Amino acid sequence: MPSEETKERIGKVVEVGRTILHYGWIPLIIYVGFTRSNPQPSLIKLISPLA
Amino acid sequence: MASTSLSEKDAHPNPYAPATPVVPSYFNPVSPFFNAYDRFASWRADLGLPQPGSVENLQKEVKATHLSNYIFDGARADLTKSLSVNPLFQVTHSFALGSQTLPSSYNFGAIFANQKVFLQGSIDHEGSVSARFNNGWTANNVSKVQAQLSQQAEQNMIQLEHDYHGQDFTVNVKAGNPSPANLTGIFIGSYLQSITKNLAIGFETLYQRPTPQNSEFATSYLAKLTSSDKNWIATGQLQPSGILQATYWQKLSEKVEVAADLQVLSAPTRRDAIATLGAKYDFRAATFRAQIDSTGKVSALLEQRFIPAFAFLVSGEIDHFKNAAKVGVGVMIESTTLTPEEMGMIPPP
Repeated sequence: MPSEETKERIGKVVEVGRTILHYGWIPLIIYVGFTRSNPQPSLIKLISPLA
Repeated sequence: MASTSLSEKDAHPNPYAPATPVVPSYFNPVSPFFNAYDRFASWRADLGLPQPGSVENLQKEVKATHLSNYIFDGARADLTKSLSVNPLFQVTHSFALGSQTLPSSYNFGAIFANQKVFLQGSIDHEGSVSARFNNGWTANNVSKVQAQLSQQAEQNMIQLEHDYHGQDFTVNVKAGNPSPANLTGIFIGSYLQSITKNLAIGFETLYQRPTPQNSEFATSYLAKLTSSDKNWIATGQLQPSGILQATYWQKLSEKVEVAADLQVLSAPTRRDAIATLGAKYDFRAATFRAQIDSTGKVSALLEQRFIPAFAFLVSGEIDHFKNAAKVGVGVMIESTTLTPEEMGMIPPP
């Protein structure tokens, strides 16, 4: 069984990872899709629902 | 002297010696086991048993026929924009309002997929993110991660999953909210094996450990019977809490499918049963689903596609026992930034 200190550290790492995933996941998909798309779309078409 | 005895041996070869010369190898001591395994594997391949499909998709056909997964009320609009076909990249804006059960919402989603990787994410107006990531290592080995992230800590969820599809069996392991600090979480393992050309049986074991002090096991048993021409499928699932779920799906023609579902709960404290009967009609530019169940609900959903990029949805449900009704209308608009040539609809000259 890990010690209390290790447990606390694991908890902190999980919390940081969760925050990064929360704010970074959608931008990551947009970035990956935008760079890998064929042909590359324009940014305004990507964000606006009507364009 | 030794040389003469050796030559005598050569002159009269041992009749019990193996016909093929044994190639020196470090595996020689265990090769009988390998040979036995190879023979077993080839015998198993000769049986020609089909792939049974995954446990998660056991009732896939029934769920696709019934409209429980598709029904909505109030008004909704889905605007999907395809930005690339290969690799797939599309963004979705969904609006929903006026529902009796759910608050009005706006949802933005993005999907990226190629042959190996599938990335999906969506965020609603309150800032809750749902994420999905699949990675196919080979055609039969897929790892999946699903996460639900919101501002409230108690609604966060993460699920790690691995799927292996063998020649005639499927294995799946899942871990829900696993904590590396005190090993709590929900762990699910399932196995489905074809035993004849038509019948597959399996089990699903759930190991729950909400706190380090207490834990519990629960195993449910599954069976799936598929007709030889794959026109009907019957499944059964028995859960340890006393729930029996039996389903039957049949394809009546190319355009008509019907499905029945019976759930029986017979716990010592409570006895209950729900039966659901549904049908799905595929027309040239429309899909119509109708369903009736034993709780007195009659519902229908029409999805009419006027042009390929524009679909109109109407759904309705009447609860005869409670005297309640729900109505929903929706539009689905698909637009694309691609020219027809780029989408592959018109072959380039």
